[in-house]
Amino acid sequence: MRIGLGPLPLAGASGSQLAAMARAAVAASFDSVWVAESRGEGVGGGLAAAAMLAQVVPIRVGAVLDLGAYHPLYMAEDIAIADITSQGRIEVLLRGGSVEQVQLLVAALSGAHLQFRGPTLRVPAHLEANQPAPERLALNPAPAQPAVPIWVEGALSGHSQDLGVGTAAQWAGGVAAPAPTGRWPGLLLCPGDSQADELLRSAGAEPAYFLVSAVTPEDVVSIGRRLVGPLRMPEFPDWIGAQ
Amino acid sequence: MSIRLGLGIFSVQAVPQRPDHHVKLYADLLEDAELAEALGFDSIWLSEHHFWFDGYCPADIVAAGAILGRTTTIRVGTAVMLLPMHSVEKVAADAAIVNRLGDGRLVLGVALGYRDNEFDGFSVRRKDRGRLMDSMLPRLADTSRAADPPYAVYVGVATAVAAQRAGRLGLPLFADSTMNATELKEMLEAYNEAARSAGVDAPSHHALQRDVFVTGDLDRDWPRLLPELRYMRRQYGAWSNPREPDESTADYLARLDGDIEAKLKNLIIGDVAHVAQELRRFESLGFDLIVCRSQFGNLPRELLRGAIEGLSRVRGEVGR
Repeated sequence: MRIGLGPLPLAGASGSQLAAMARAAVAASFDSVWVAESRGEGVGGGLAAAAMLAQVVPIRVGAVLDLGAYHPLYMAEDIAIADITSQGRIEVLLRGGSVEQVQLLVAALSGAHLQFRGPTLRVPAHLEANQPAPERLALNPAPAQPAVPIWVEGALSGHSQDLGVGTAAQWAGGVAAPAPTGRWPGLLLCPGDSQADELLRSAGAEPAYFLVSAVTPEDVVSIGRRLVGPLRMPEFPDWIGAQ
Repeated sequence: MSIRLGLGIFSVQAVPQRPDHHVKLYADLLEDAELAEALGFDSIWLSEHHFWFDGYCPADIVAAGAILGRTTTIRVGTAVMLLPMHSVEKVAADAAIVNRLGDGRLVLGVALGYRDNEFDGFSVRRKDRGRLMDSMLPRLADTSRAADPPYAVYVGVATAVAAQRAGRLGLPLFADSTMNATELKEMLEAYNEAARSAGVDAPSHHALQRDVFVTGDLDRDWPRLLPELRYMRRQYGAWSNPREPDESTADYLARLDGDIEAKLKNLIIGDVAHVAQELRRFESLGFDLIVCRSQFGNLPRELLRGAIEGLSRVRGEVGR
């Protein structure tokens, strides 16, 4: 099992607050720290913020991104540079958007020489005014990782297997964590008061990735002490740390 | 008035003559940013282009985020983001957050862009770029002023027409390195006249980009620099002057080489005293921020760092 902190909302956050939370996540043995943009409210910068935090902490850094707000090729470029500057530590959860947009994003991140012809997106576009355009183009530089971990939630979840991405879901009492797809475990976004036994029940026999929210660095430490040990190893001996 | 010195522009290219992996190139960039901050530079600047074989930086605002995370005082600028290819809502939403997380240290330089293949990749007609800029720039200026904290927007210019657009909005200029002193003066006159006509109180101080290399041994360094300068100038020249369908390789290279020779005349190279004297000439024109590019292509590390340290001594001579 894996455990991440967040997503930390970027709306209203300062750099020092995010850095303090990220450092607490490292100190509490979280595998990752995540931030969330909310473009519907005019709050962007998810990947730039992730790139920033990756310079502050050595663990993996995730970004919750609003896919449909701009061209997927820009998102691919932003992911690539965030991944390269973090030396291969970026993870992404996509909200919104369409199957076609995810297809183009995944194709671009693969490093393929692209010739994408979707219902609404064409790359290269070969617009009349832009001749001569090449037959194909590529995202360059490509991400440092061979495959950047990407999850989708909501309406896209039903397509995650075909898209080659992971599935994410919001915690609700008694809900099962999403099943793994390909190499990606299901991602479950959980409240800070989640208990280890209920998270483990939600995963069953499958691997899962729990993203746990917190408000203060003190919360992070407390959550880490409660969850990290039991999630990492079955039958955690809860007497082991007794004073 | 005294001059502030910025370092850049950095384009992070795996050039054919030294194609380091981009993981190393960006690690080098972050080291250079730390050095620039330690040496007291005002700012460090990143460039943007898309879909080029050497991986020219395509996401300057994300790279800026990484630098802001690594540093604490130096400002970080884009020079320039190619605004008409982007969604202005995306740019504004990204910039406001990055600036806040970076404690108000982001500076956003924007310009038109000119390379057809980049526009086509994003399904934008190049011929629409002026109209798009006219529409986007006022919105970006408004949102930059309303952001908490506000961030500065500079307009990248290489022509009088582009300067007039900035003048009408009262936005400061980021003048291209290819313009000589006469062209800069004419461009500023056009800018000020446009501002007057629009009834706008335009700033009197602007930013300028120059190719600058500080060396105490020109004979030793010039043979190492010239291939890198030629590569850089040939690339930009080719983007501005695409090859004609029937043009031979030899004819095309000859055409580009003529352009290279013209552009190299703007290069400022020499010892600290010479470079300081040359930079002071621009102060009287109205440029109080000069962004000095010493990274041409991908110079050997010791050569670039020596030039940056030399430039920091120029900073002591010319002002802030």
